Amino acid sequence: MSDDAASHLDALAAVPPPLAPGLSATLEAELGKLASVATRRPLRQLAILVGVSLVYGAALLGMLTMRQDLAELPMAWLAAAGLAWLVGFLGPAYLALVPQTGTMTPRWPWAAAAAAVSSVAFVVLGRLAHPTGASSLTYGWERFPHGHGCLELGLATAVVPVVAGALFLRGALPVGSRWIAACLGAAGGCLGGLVLHLHCRITDWPHVALVHGSVVGVSAALAAALAPRATDRVLERE
Amino acid sequence: MAEPKELMARYCDGDAHAFRELYAAVAPRLLGYLMKMARSRALAEDLLQQTFLKVHNARAAYIRGADPVPWIYSIAHRTFIDEARRTRRAIVHSAGDDVPEVPAAITGESVDRADEPRADPELTAATLAALGALPDAQREAVVLTKLDGKSVAEAAAIAGTTVGAMKVRAHRGYEALRKALGRKGAKGAAA
Repeated sequence: MSDDAASHLDALAAVPPPLAPGLSATLEAELGKLASVATRRPLRQLAILVGVSLVYGAALLGMLTMRQDLAELPMAWLAAAGLAWLVGFLGPAYLALVPQTGTMTPRWPWAAAAAAVSSVAFVVLGRLAHPTGASSLTYGWERFPHGHGCLELGLATAVVPVVAGALFLRGALPVGSRWIAACLGAAGGCLGGLVLHLHCRITDWPHVALVHGSVVGVSAALAAALAPRATDRVLERE
Repeated sequence: MAEPKELMARYCDGDAHAFRELYAAVAPRLLGYLMKMARSRALAEDLLQQTFLKVHNARAAYIRGADPVPWIYSIAHRTFIDEARRTRRAIVHSAGDDVPEVPAAITGESVDRADEPRADPELTAATLAALGALPDAQREAVVLTKLDGKSVAEAAAIAGTTVGAMKVRAHRGYEALRKALGRKGAKGAAA
């Protein structure tokens, strides 16, 4: 920058801040009836979201059935895939709800990255590893469209964490709310993937990768489109 | 005066006096930011009141121990963007247009502060005119990083963008300012 431009900016920066006007009548009226409010506690909210979501996922599994080929599949794969889905749920949920210490707004660039990575990663993992047991089913490409019920079940599972997260984050996201919502959606989608992992015995890669895996991305996109309506309402013009 | 985080915590506990102290501490700086963005004192004052009303409505989102000032700035940023989108009146100006108000109204200098040291009014007016001609995003980057003393990371968090994008905006804003002020300097020298 030239010395000229720098001196111009320095001169403007040296001007003392303006005198602020008094409070508006609306604000004065609000202060007149000011009440104490419970402030946001991110770690407590995370614990509640995780607990309620896991109970809901377990209830769904209880209402449905566990996959019949469970005992025929490699235990290492079952455990590793289940753990991956669980981490995919917990990691983005943490990023969406818990800001850096001393700040109020969650780290939306990290949340956006988590949503994008998990949306792709579970499709790729489903393509790479999809072991089959004697009781497993194979739909293949011919019956691929019949597998849409898994997408619906996965999205239904994602509803609870997304709604809970959106309620917890009301008013907290003046900027980046779509990315945070996408991250919540990805977390919910991973919980949906975990439920499908334990329920669905269709093991061909198009179904596992493109239906189970895509629950994460679809859930993230839907949450990004819908959840900011709840989180941002309090920050919109009256 | 107490720190903004202490005031915000007391305000959330129902202490109206703490809100007034918080307003007194934050509003002048925020009004300066909004005036440079909106280029109109009247509009900036309206945006300031809207911002604090939103802060009031969203105060349950406060996390105890956190600095509320960047959050309040983000709400002001969003309020300005929403208003600019809604009316377009704050950003529409023609090429070669000058600052629409006298510099004292933009910078907020008033008769109350006649005794304080003053910046050169011509320099200030020229800088405001050049600043006003920048696109919103570049103007905000320059205002936050050069005039309000925020770090690039803080400015990026307020504007809801990445650090890299904020650096680019600030750099482009500087370049545009340098050219605009260089032209004005050359015109002044020729006259």
